[in-house]
Amino acid sequence: MRRKGVSYAKYGYIFCIPFVIAYLIFSFYPTIFTLVIGFTDFKGLGKTEFNFLDNIFENFILILKNPSFKRSLSNTVVIWIANFIPQILLALLLTAWFTSHRRKIKGQGIFKVLFYMPNIITAATIAILFSSLLAYPIGPVNALLQKLGFIDEPTYFLMSKKIARGTVAFIQFWMWYGYTMIVLISGVLGINPELFEAAEIDGANSRQIFFRVTLPNLRTIMLFTLVTSLIGGLNMFDIPKLFLNGGPDNATVTTNVFIYNQAFSGSYLYNRAAAASVIMFLIISVCSAILFMILRDKEASKLRKLEKMQQKELRKAEKETRRLDNET
Amino acid sequence: MKRIIALFLACLMIMSLALTGCGKRNTKDGSTTDPGSNTGQNTDQEDNNDNQGDNNETATVEDDPSVKTFNIYAFTDEVPNMIKKFKELYPDEFPYEIKETIIATTDGLYQPALDQALANGGSDAPDLYVAEAAFVIKYTQGDASQYAKPYKELGIDVDNLLKEAEIAPYTVDIGTNTDSQVVALAYQSTGGAFIYRRSIAKDVWGTDDPEVIKGKIGPGWDKFFEAAEELKQKGYAIISGDGDLWHAVENSSDQGWVVDGKLTIDPKREEFFDLSKKLKDNNYHNDTVDWQDAWFADMKGVGEKEVFGFFGPAWLINYTLHDNCGGTKVGEGTYGDWAVCEPPIGFFWGGSWILANKDTKIPKTLGKVIEWITLDSSENGLQHMWANGTFSEDSAKDTVASGTVMKRSDGELDFLGGQNMFEVFVPAGEFANGKNLTQYDETINKVWREQVREYTAGNKSKEQAIEDFKQDVRDNTDLIVE
Repeated sequence: MRRKGVSYAKYGYIFCIPFVIAYLIFSFYPTIFTLVIGFTDFKGLGKTEFNFLDNIFENFILILKNPSFKRSLSNTVVIWIANFIPQILLALLLTAWFTSHRRKIKGQGIFKVLFYMPNIITAATIAILFSSLLAYPIGPVNALLQKLGFIDEPTYFLMSKKIARGTVAFIQFWMWYGYTMIVLISGVLGINPELFEAAEIDGANSRQIFFRVTLPNLRTIMLFTLVTSLIGGLNMFDIPKLFLNGGPDNATVTTNVFIYNQAFSGSYLYNRAAAASVIMFLIISVCSAILFMILRDKEASKLRKLEKMQQKELRKAEKETRRLDNET
Repeated sequence: MKRIIALFLACLMIMSLALTGCGKRNTKDGSTTDPGSNTGQNTDQEDNNDNQGDNNETATVEDDPSVKTFNIYAFTDEVPNMIKKFKELYPDEFPYEIKETIIATTDGLYQPALDQALANGGSDAPDLYVAEAAFVIKYTQGDASQYAKPYKELGIDVDNLLKEAEIAPYTVDIGTNTDSQVVALAYQSTGGAFIYRRSIAKDVWGTDDPEVIKGKIGPGWDKFFEAAEELKQKGYAIISGDGDLWHAVENSSDQGWVVDGKLTIDPKREEFFDLSKKLKDNNYHNDTVDWQDAWFADMKGVGEKEVFGFFGPAWLINYTLHDNCGGTKVGEGTYGDWAVCEPPIGFFWGGSWILANKDTKIPKTLGKVIEWITLDSSENGLQHMWANGTFSEDSAKDTVASGTVMKRSDGELDFLGGQNMFEVFVPAGEFANGKNLTQYDETINKVWREQVREYTAGNKSKEQAIEDFKQDVRDNTDLIVE
């Protein structure tokens, strides 16, 4: 008697349906639609018709020539770098401490929760918190500095481009280092403990262990952190928009704020906003690809290349012998 | 394998159905990117033709008996509460369930939601919606004006009622669409006055009489700055920040930001650069930004210097000064220490306009409700209650659109030391200019004030600031900028 096997595979597909449908409608379709309207004259509120432009790349050219777009791009990059470098350094330091075998830090759980906390608070709350902290002429920071005698007159902090950008970068850093730390810790915990033991037996100190064992093994996780942070950083929107709405003098206008302004204020230039979005998509893709190239496992790829070369050689040699055989 | 393919195709089908479903109303969809397919357009045009049929006379209209709900979109509960009141007073004429959607204007969420609701139509579309002065032009004359139904088509005898109620001209200008049809009116009047502290006036000029003070601070900016100097001698600031001045300047200028698709800087608005700089350089104000903590502190009189006054309409007294004065009865905080007088220049600030959806199924009821709110100047009308503070238990006396009602009513407020504010606010409404608004105002004002702030802070020359302002507008809109 043969029992018919029960296949559960179909349930997998059935359970996927809601996601697939939601993805197609709410994610895939808008992406394609954005791409399409980038080539059209679609603008103005409540307008429903649009035509493809005669010069099909006009929107893209306009955006690339747009000084505000260029400035927003450089703002975005500056703010991202200013937040990412301290963020990854601090996260690495904390990771090294929390995963160290030598010093067992007490109350690790509480620290991890506390460090992660800023990420749970909504961006809107944080943005408003910081803008009222730095308020002028009456605000907590001004009051504190005056009481301590550092300044005599209240200072208009948020009129300074550097302070405004710095604050946005700091908020981003403060919100995300906990998250990066958690990701890195999980990466370290995934490394084979025998490696650490071996290193310790060989007499490596904790610094050597960190640089020679932990870091090289963290490479894939680092790549993940870098790429997600790059994507998140270049798409920065909520904090700059809510903190100072792009000010002062457009110092904190990021590309996404620029795109928002194009599409949802003034002239409602959906087409140019779409073109700018597509340009950002390309920039992010290229940057991610470069990161992948730089951080890929070079040894492994060398090995693969070597193998391929060997196989080629082998085939060549075979051919050669066959040819020689034929000739003889 | 077959099943998977079937499943995939089913998904695709559902998706395309869902998309074409919206596509009929809204050609924003990928399924109709082809310029040839313009079904959406045709229906729109038909609607327009319907509307034009009865342009010039008051229509007789009937409600669709199958409709059960009355949909409202608003940014505060003010208008929904009025409609609830109407239902309470006239239950026979209002057999509907009220469905209100209230979204605050902060974070710019209200307009997108309203735009979507209007564009999508159907039974959930608003029958009545409310627009604020900052963006009302978009709904009456701008990109979203096609959704508004002229009041006449709701059976309202607009022309006669406007005269009877003596509605301020700027209210009507703003609410009139490009076909000269009234599509929106306000219930509030937002003509501005100068609201000042009596105690400071007495200290500086020996009197707090509005008739005298009005001659001290105006007319014109020169006298205003003379007053500022006198106040400075005694250690007072004339106003809290340059934002206060801006509202007066913005809404008293002759031209709006955009004239025939071109960015235009009205000389009166350009002068704001100099006025603002003068205030800052001479330390005539506390350099606050409106709607921020320091601004509110000045209402309580606890800022860096005590502030003499604020530019504003009656709502600023009722909802802002009243709540931030640091007290609830005479003697507490600055309560009762205020008075109003004519401003150096006439202006208006804010206000809510009421619009009807052209696709409404219940035009008759809607007409009655809108008439009751905006044009009924009798003692049974909303505005009478609104002006006399009898609308609800905790409502304050407020200025209303109808001059008739205000003349009849008594606007004495304890907050103003017993002054009848209507005496100042009725003429204030007449000076206001409602022809200088554009749908770009919110966007352009933001850029403008930012550049003015850069200039007054000494970071830029005036020429550079204006150049940067133009560049910003050029980059972010498709207006012609020279």
